[in-house]
Amino acid sequence: MEALLSVENLTKEYKGVVALNNVSFEVSDGITGILGENGAGKSTAIKIVLGLLQPTSGSAKILGVTASENIDIRSRLGYMPEHDCLPSNVTAAEFLTHMAELSGLPPSHARSRAADTLRHAGLFEERYRAMGGYSTGMKQRVKLAQALVHDPAIVLLDEPTAGLDPAGREEMLDLVRKTHREFGISILFSSHLMADVERTCDRIIVLRGGQVIQSGEVKSFTEETETVYIEVDTNKDSFIVALEQRSVAVTDAGLGIYVEGSDESVYDHVRDALVEAEAPLRRMGPRRRALTELFARDGDDFTDLPGGLES
Amino acid sequence: MTSSKNTSSTASVQAREGTVFDIGYQHYDGPREGRNRARLSVFKDGLKISLGLGRGVRAKILPWLFIGSLMLVGAGLAMAAITIDRIAGEGTAHTVGLPTHSDYYGIASIIMFIFAAISAPELLCPDRRDGVINLYLVRPLTGSDYIVSRWLAFMSVMLLIAWLPQIILMAGLTLGASDPADYLKDNWLDIPKFLGAGAAIATYSGTIALLVSGFTTRRAYASVFMVGLFTVSAPFTFGLAQELGGTAGKWLSMFNLSNIPMHVNDAIFGTTSGVTMDAPASAFDTWILVSWFFLWTLGPAALLWFRYRKLTP
Repeated sequence: MEALLSVENLTKEYKGVVALNNVSFEVSDGITGILGENGAGKSTAIKIVLGLLQPTSGSAKILGVTASENIDIRSRLGYMPEHDCLPSNVTAAEFLTHMAELSGLPPSHARSRAADTLRHAGLFEERYRAMGGYSTGMKQRVKLAQALVHDPAIVLLDEPTAGLDPAGREEMLDLVRKTHREFGISILFSSHLMADVERTCDRIIVLRGGQVIQSGEVKSFTEETETVYIEVDTNKDSFIVALEQRSVAVTDAGLGIYVEGSDESVYDHVRDALVEAEAPLRRMGPRRRALTELFARDGDDFTDLPGGLES
Repeated sequence: MTSSKNTSSTASVQAREGTVFDIGYQHYDGPREGRNRARLSVFKDGLKISLGLGRGVRAKILPWLFIGSLMLVGAGLAMAAITIDRIAGEGTAHTVGLPTHSDYYGIASIIMFIFAAISAPELLCPDRRDGVINLYLVRPLTGSDYIVSRWLAFMSVMLLIAWLPQIILMAGLTLGASDPADYLKDNWLDIPKFLGAGAAIATYSGTIALLVSGFTTRRAYASVFMVGLFTVSAPFTFGLAQELGGTAGKWLSMFNLSNIPMHVNDAIFGTTSGVTMDAPASAFDTWILVSWFFLWTLGPAALLWFRYRKLTP
């Protein structure tokens, strides 16, 4: 698969401070997450890709060209910044029309694209209201809509769920997934929230201190483990004792328990222990690893746990 | 017959009932006009902001109040000249020294300065305060494209308000003359003169106002600073220049910011207007006064461009 974006040996220094240190990665079709703490170099990498900053060394190409040398390529790119960027006294329809024209679309096309994009973003009914009266969730959706209004080949989202409540965050992640799966637009999704990246992205690049520390398919990070998770309605303690009598390794996880076992015999032991303890089974299944287990936080830093995939 | 009626009625109901189909996301395969379209869009947006077009009533009040006032000045001067000529005989208005094209900017320049001070911040401050500039600069548009387009938009509005009242004055004086053709033949040279003098005042005040706006995100700060600069520089430099006298006084008088374009107006019309009459700087050679004007116009323009050239989100 051809890379939409390719970064090779990219280094960026600001007056002696290294923001990116010899970073290389590629982004192809799909949703790719860049995960990292504040200051890890995510925004710097995005700005270099967009041609807004010059790298100290290395190269960043998007859609086959270096954006700083050919700014017309930006008419095929979308960018949603993390911070506020919406005027309060303008309607969403007028704003998106202007943004589409700024991306090179003639006025008549820009108007119809603006209306269509606001419909897809769920803001069609509100399009003639000044944006100053919008909720945070609506503003985030306008920010995403302005990045999509000119039908870009790839869109770069910088912390799209920042400042949203859980419901708004879920809506935004749904919209991001829809942008790729229904609209066919590839996405580079920058975030410091592992759960967002895990639930939304196909691939992941982890930055720490300006360096890539992990990269790969999200599913390879969260593949099934040899651990079985079990919840019972009652008699949990008796059930644990019955399992231990059968030499099964058990870990109490509060509501449920984890049972270690690589072969089918563990299920026979579980069945027998359930009968013996008279414990009604509520839930049982193989456990998937979560990204958070791979990058446990230690203070303000990411710490690799055993099992993490080194790039 | 009944059956036919029912069928017709059903068909008509079906025709009236529409069905909305969600055809899903449609990719755009129309023209993409790149950087030039982006520049034009920033220019058009700048015009709309300056004139309050496509915005609420509040946004329209100030620009159109100033434009209306300036047109009233032009129309008032024309009406006064026509009335005096009609009552006291042809040429009386000229004989009694009623203000005309060469004097208009002396009267109107203060209104133009205030208009520039109030309108210019609207073009630049909100874009940086709200962060909209971040969205401009990630499109096929550079910081230079942005500021040049905004500057051109504001200059267009400033030229409109500089020239329109003069055109009204010229039209009034021509139509009010006993022989309009003769009047136009004798006075047509006033047209390039007022166009040139108007361009000088418009570019000077507009560029300085945009430069001030380029360094703050608060519109009020920019407006107050600009008005303060012009109102303080006049009495301050006049008083000190009188005190010092000689060449030093003349040079100090050059720093009266509201007089700088008026010296160009005087040079173009070959007269001394009321506002520059007492200024010691008027004694300087024309080339010095014109060079001083260019320094104070091109310098701020270069600073403004430098400020936005490397701007990044």
